Amino acid sequence: MGSFIIIRILHGLITLYLISVAVFFILRLGGGNPIDYMLPEDATPEDYKLMTEAYGFDKPLIEQYWKYNTKLLQGDLGNAMAFDRRPTVEVVGERLPASLHLGGSALLIAIVIGVTIGAISASRPDSIFDRLGKVLAISAQSMPIFWVGILLILLFSVYLGWLPSAGGVDGLALKRLILPATSLGFFLIASHMRITRSTMLEVLESDYIKMVRAKGLPPRLVLWKHAFKNASIPVFTLFFVNFAGLISGAVITETIFSWPGVGRLLVDSLIQRDYPTTQTVIFFSAAFVLCVNIFVDVMYAWLDPRIRVG
Amino acid sequence: MLRGADNEAILRQPRGISGLIPEPLRRANARLRGAPKFSLAFIVFALLCAAFAPVIAPYDPIETDFTAILEPPSKAHWLGADNQGRDILSRTIYGARISVRVAVIAVFLAASVGTLVALIAGVFRGWVDTVLMRITDGFMALPYLMVALMVVALMGASITNVILVIGLLRWMGFARVIRGEVLRLMESDFVRLARVAGSSRPRIMLRHVFPNVINTLLVLLTLEIGLAVITESSLSFLGLGVPRPDPSWGSMLKDAQQYVFIAWWSPVFSGLAITMLVMSCNLVGDWLRDRTDPTRRQL
Repeated sequence: MGSFIIIRILHGLITLYLISVAVFFILRLGGGNPIDYMLPEDATPEDYKLMTEAYGFDKPLIEQYWKYNTKLLQGDLGNAMAFDRRPTVEVVGERLPASLHLGGSALLIAIVIGVTIGAISASRPDSIFDRLGKVLAISAQSMPIFWVGILLILLFSVYLGWLPSAGGVDGLALKRLILPATSLGFFLIASHMRITRSTMLEVLESDYIKMVRAKGLPPRLVLWKHAFKNASIPVFTLFFVNFAGLISGAVITETIFSWPGVGRLLVDSLIQRDYPTTQTVIFFSAAFVLCVNIFVDVMYAWLDPRIRVG
Repeated sequence: MLRGADNEAILRQPRGISGLIPEPLRRANARLRGAPKFSLAFIVFALLCAAFAPVIAPYDPIETDFTAILEPPSKAHWLGADNQGRDILSRTIYGARISVRVAVIAVFLAASVGTLVALIAGVFRGWVDTVLMRITDGFMALPYLMVALMVVALMGASITNVILVIGLLRWMGFARVIRGEVLRLMESDFVRLARVAGSSRPRIMLRHVFPNVINTLLVLLTLEIGLAVITESSLSFLGLGVPRPDPSWGSMLKDAQQYVFIAWWSPVFSGLAITMLVMSCNLVGDWLRDRTDPTRRQL
């Protein structure tokens, strides 16, 4: 088991390193130049040259890479070119709480709604509730996040006037959080619902459930206390699998609702061609996804010894 | 009492409305039993819109009409007009062109790369397999939309770049699933016999294995096209996809978002078009999967 974990972590580190290399070169081989965005309009060609030299952009790409690589291996991700030239880790770290708030609430919404509907659907297959649930799952899977967001704004901000349509700077207040979190969580409802429904259906067929039913326990207790406990393992796996999708979704959600998170930081830093900040954002996102993947693999190996051998 | 021949005659007699439907259509209907017919019809409808947009659309999709700015749905503009007075119905119809083209080409690109990787990995095994699968895992760990955004932002927003990005970042699903199929097929008797008969590996790959993964490929293709439609519109929504003034459903929504407080009609229809197309692809994909895999038919 120990060696399995070590091998998975090593693989993860190699993948992360390769991603950092790829991102470095894609950024620099693409069009645009960060210096254009840093200097004022009336900058002279000398200023331009000075700035280019200061950042080492005049040197060969491979030399620039070597410098980045050395720093990276020392744990230094560099300073941002925009954002007051502070260390990128600081810039990203500052935006992180807003994103975690949003992502966490979205996951919570997806799990609570998805699992509840899925479990009730499984207890009454083919009922009207089950059919409506299926329709909800199919729509949740097919609606793009930004459309869900706009529709929610239309309904709750424009028509009913209950909730604000933008995240604003001052807060992570609950009222501001509801719409963004719901749009981000909406597409995750479908997968949670489907997996809960199908595992619950299986569990509800088993002998021990028939036994507790025969004992005369009320259906609600059978469903939540006896059946759900056993059906919850795949649901928890799915919870982790969704993290990668959540990051992509956050970029879009944060843009619609002007939410001051990491996703918007990525879009902003890309527009200004702030290479170090872009690199750091993607580095951390990839590291996050890899950690979650390793965690899931290790959990699986722990639960099912056959995987360790393969 | 009826004699046997009469019985047959009665049975052969067309009854009710089904008798009015010609035989080939009835057969097609039988083949499509259980199929999401509405979804199939919508996909055909979207393809027709894409193909014949200039004929169907009542207006030029990029022509601005300052007398119609943000006009609500009316007789002249069935779905209303946007912030530059452009007819939303016409733009939605033309939008089908871009979404369908981008999604189909991108997914075919992804499928080709993925299938090739899967076939080579599965047939040759050994270190080739290990290296290819490590690369696949690496790509899978990429925060997909972030990288897509990055590449399109740097290479410039154009239809070609969007197609390339989706194609080259979405092949891993194909590679993984089809490699599993290939490994299973390599163990089957007919492949073993082909090897004994002296077929080379490339020949086994193309003649014996590939034809047997086409069903799986078809299912994946349909499901991935739905996802590609969403990705293209997401990139366009973020302003990094299909460049203006070409009407893409995503960029239409981006424009509409700013006017959501005064013009409800402008974001509703393009979003509905995306959702319907994606939903149709998903439902058809699910149906194809159940058809090719009898064990899932009951689910």
